[in-house]
Amino acid sequence: MNFDEKMLRSVIEEVLKEMGSASTAPAAKAAPAASTLSAGEMSLTDSGEAAKGVAPDEVVIGLAPAFGVYQHETIIHQPHSKVLREIIAGIEEEGMKWRLIRVYRTSDVSFIAHDAAEYSGSGIGIGIQSKGTTVIHQKDLPPLSNLELFSQAPLIEMDTFRQIGKNAAKYAKGEAPTPVTVRNDQMARPTYQAIAALLHIKETEHCDRDKKPQAVTVSFK
Amino acid sequence: MKSKRFEALAARPVNQDGYVQEWPEVGLIAMNSPFDPKPSIKIENGRIVEMDGKARADFDMLDTFIADHAIRLGNAEKAMAMDSLDIARKIVDINVSRDEILDITLSVTPAKLTEIVGKLTIVEIMMGMTKMRARLMPANQCHVTNVKDNPVQIAADAAEAAVRGFAEMETTVGIARYAPFNAMALFVGAQAGRPGIMTQCALEEATELQLGMRGFTTYAETISVYGTEPVFMDGDDTPYSKAFLASCYASRGLKMRFTSGTGSEVQMGYAEGKSMLYLEARCLAVTKGAGVQGTQNGSVSCVGVPAGVPGGIRAIAAENLIAMLLDLESTTSNDQTFTHSDLRRVARSVPQLFSGTDYICSGYSATPNYDNMFAGSNWDADDYDDWNIIQRDMRIDGGLQPVKEEDVIKARNKAARALQGMFRELGLPPITDEEVEAATYARGSEDMPNRNVNEDLKAIEAMMARKVTGVDFVKALDKAGFPDVAQNIYNMLRQKVAGDYLHTASIFDKDFHVYSGVNAPNDYHGPMTGYQLSEERWEQIKNIPNAIRPEDI
Amino acid sequence: MDQEALMRQIVEQVMSAMSKGAAPAAPAGGKMTAANYPLAEKEADKLKTPTGKPFSSLSYEKVLSGELTSDDMRIAPETLEYQAQVAESVNREAFAGNLRRAAELIAVPDERLLEIYNALRPYRSTKQELIDIANELDGKYGAKTAAALVREAAEVYEKRDRLKKF
Repeated sequence: MNFDEKMLRSVIEEVLKEMGSASTAPAAKAAPAASTLSAGEMSLTDSGEAAKGVAPDEVVIGLAPAFGVYQHETIIHQPHSKVLREIIAGIEEEGMKWRLIRVYRTSDVSFIAHDAAEYSGSGIGIGIQSKGTTVIHQKDLPPLSNLELFSQAPLIEMDTFRQIGKNAAKYAKGEAPTPVTVRNDQMARPTYQAIAALLHIKETEHCDRDKKPQAVTVSFK
Repeated sequence: MKSKRFEALAARPVNQDGYVQEWPEVGLIAMNSPFDPKPSIKIENGRIVEMDGKARADFDMLDTFIADHAIRLGNAEKAMAMDSLDIARKIVDINVSRDEILDITLSVTPAKLTEIVGKLTIVEIMMGMTKMRARLMPANQCHVTNVKDNPVQIAADAAEAAVRGFAEMETTVGIARYAPFNAMALFVGAQAGRPGIMTQCALEEATELQLGMRGFTTYAETISVYGTEPVFMDGDDTPYSKAFLASCYASRGLKMRFTSGTGSEVQMGYAEGKSMLYLEARCLAVTKGAGVQGTQNGSVSCVGVPAGVPGGIRAIAAENLIAMLLDLESTTSNDQTFTHSDLRRVARSVPQLFSGTDYICSGYSATPNYDNMFAGSNWDADDYDDWNIIQRDMRIDGGLQPVKEEDVIKARNKAARALQGMFRELGLPPITDEEVEAATYARGSEDMPNRNVNEDLKAIEAMMARKVTGVDFVKALDKAGFPDVAQNIYNMLRQKVAGDYLHTASIFDKDFHVYSGVNAPNDYHGPMTGYQLSEERWEQIKNIPNAIRPEDI
Repeated sequence: MDQEALMRQIVEQVMSAMSKGAAPAAPAGGKMTAANYPLAEKEADKLKTPTGKPFSSLSYEKVLSGELTSDDMRIAPETLEYQAQVAESVNREAFAGNLRRAAELIAVPDERLLEIYNALRPYRSTKQELIDIANELDGKYGAKTAAALVREAAEVYEKRDRLKKF
């Protein structure tokens, strides 16, 4: 893949614009207690502070601050609505329940996944960043460790997202699933690293360190 | 009409790489940013009250830590008052000794260090490296990983890498829970190949320490520090927790270094509008202030970021030099893919390879890159002969040497069998003869049979629960009929009791003699000084098996 | 001759060149210097394990027989103090400081050490929890410099809003 410098410029400009608007009108960032933001094929709505779950048959999916709201596709242009549907389908296939939260305090995927695990009645959570990087976590592990990590976002295809949902559900049931096959591509970095940095800057702009995880309702169109 | 020449150029690998124009406002600039702070220092009552244009009241956590721990106050005002250009000139002046330079550079602020190296061309940076690295002789480190986390292959690859000359080896995991197997396979494989090689397993901080405490590893490197406070927090640490962690390692007799690199702050979203090099200078000051002996730096896994902006590869060499100017062991990256172009990847390594650093690569991939779980290295197993011939072409010591196929096969086989025996004695899932055979002749994991991952993971959990330690490896290997490998493991454990290898830039030879910045300091001061290739070493480097001998014709 | 032998030769040359000028040998005032390094070779009789066994008595056979356990294969506070002195003799005072802080932490059990490290990570502890840890390090283990570092962290975390939030 070639980098389109113009595209990069426009991404940067957008980031700067958001930085500017955030500093001139901080209320806009802090206000939306229950914002409904359309995301094309789905809408995600914050519905107040998330509760810690007790149901042992649930997996909590933690969304990064911009997922499906300010960004709508992964680094390889997979729509967030489809990604989320696949993860959910994977969990449901295993007969388990799911719940969504949005994590604001950080854009780091390990912490997001760990927060999701802590809020999950089963102790199993999934964290996902807008660019597609995904982690399956368990609440008793250190935040920067994990059960399964899919660190190379450009290599995560749709069927992998379903597998991630399935495996998370299996961990929640106390099973020991075979981890989703790890993929590796040494040319992902030269091709994607700079753009990944920019997408992450955009995600991080929507963090709010003092805001607790919010419950999220989703409707797919 | 389209130009055929331009069409051909567009298809070249170099044009598949990503490039970005500088954008100083968001920190997308390698060095010499107009937004970098101007160097300054004010000391009152033995305390820094102003640093790099900021008053103490405005210090963030990193500023506070650096001001309180990282700068020698005695000489600070004098050193800060010196012209940065004069200091830069002293760095390349063979008549000014390494110690004289350190008197200045250990007393200055991150902005001053950034300004000093900003005055140097790439060749002058290389001259600086030749003089300023801590250890007399250079060395090299490799990565030993595979996409299946197959421990038998790790042991065999480590043994081969040992024969090829690496002094340190690092592994990591695809699946985090495999870490104990990877660490023990690397330990056994390395000691089967050549006694005295140090090994580590890159993991989450607390987990990595735990493996070290258990005697699964002998040193640690993946102790990350970052140049802005928010990114440091996302890395789940503070300068204080990292300083404490550094002491935890030393308290268990384990060598360790920090790691950092240009571009990580941009990559993680909070560069605060400063140049990548200035932020890296802050990382290195934190490293110094924590009292750590060395660093792995040179952008490392973020290399795609500086490599995408103008002057980025020069900045990477400059950050290595700053590490040396702070008297830190320099473990200089060259360990991550950043380009599709073979020409670019060689050029990127020239400064460290030609100048010589304490560890030229902090991860030359000892496997083909498809198995490199650090997402690919700048050099891999398929490049072994290129590396050897570049050493021969340039008459330099890059830490490796040509090898014979039969020696490599022997070493790989022995390591795989030793691990097989150790697994058996420890009651771990069996390693079959078929696996040993495959590992002996494999190029990579595509040539390896699959293991039962679930069985392995269950066995690992049970093994960790019954508190198996390095001492158990010694016993198991002896029982399994590999007393020499067992002795080597024992000797590595014994070194932890003495702690000599905690010192700056240490390595062991095959007789467990330690060489470090203490007993093998770099004393370069011009032509024919410092490390010189001996005739014996030159023979070893130049005698590649495929060179035609005139007497044979 | 292989690379290691060569290294040794070079090192010996350098060391003899270095020693021509100054007179290092005997540790002045009982302090270790670069001349005593490596301690495992030159000062083996001065080193001990934290369990009190002489370094020179360690052996492979004793590991096999079970006479030595993993508790013996550890570094002792006195050894780290010697290594700190060596570091100071080559002007590495920051590193020496780290080794001294480490010497204090040898007495802290593995599990507790990991817990304290984790408690020092951002947003993990309240100020009081950090002060309690400092008091524990100080009072229970005599780890004065480590305790000072934790107290310092408590102040800075408070100022920078990095204490436990929720």
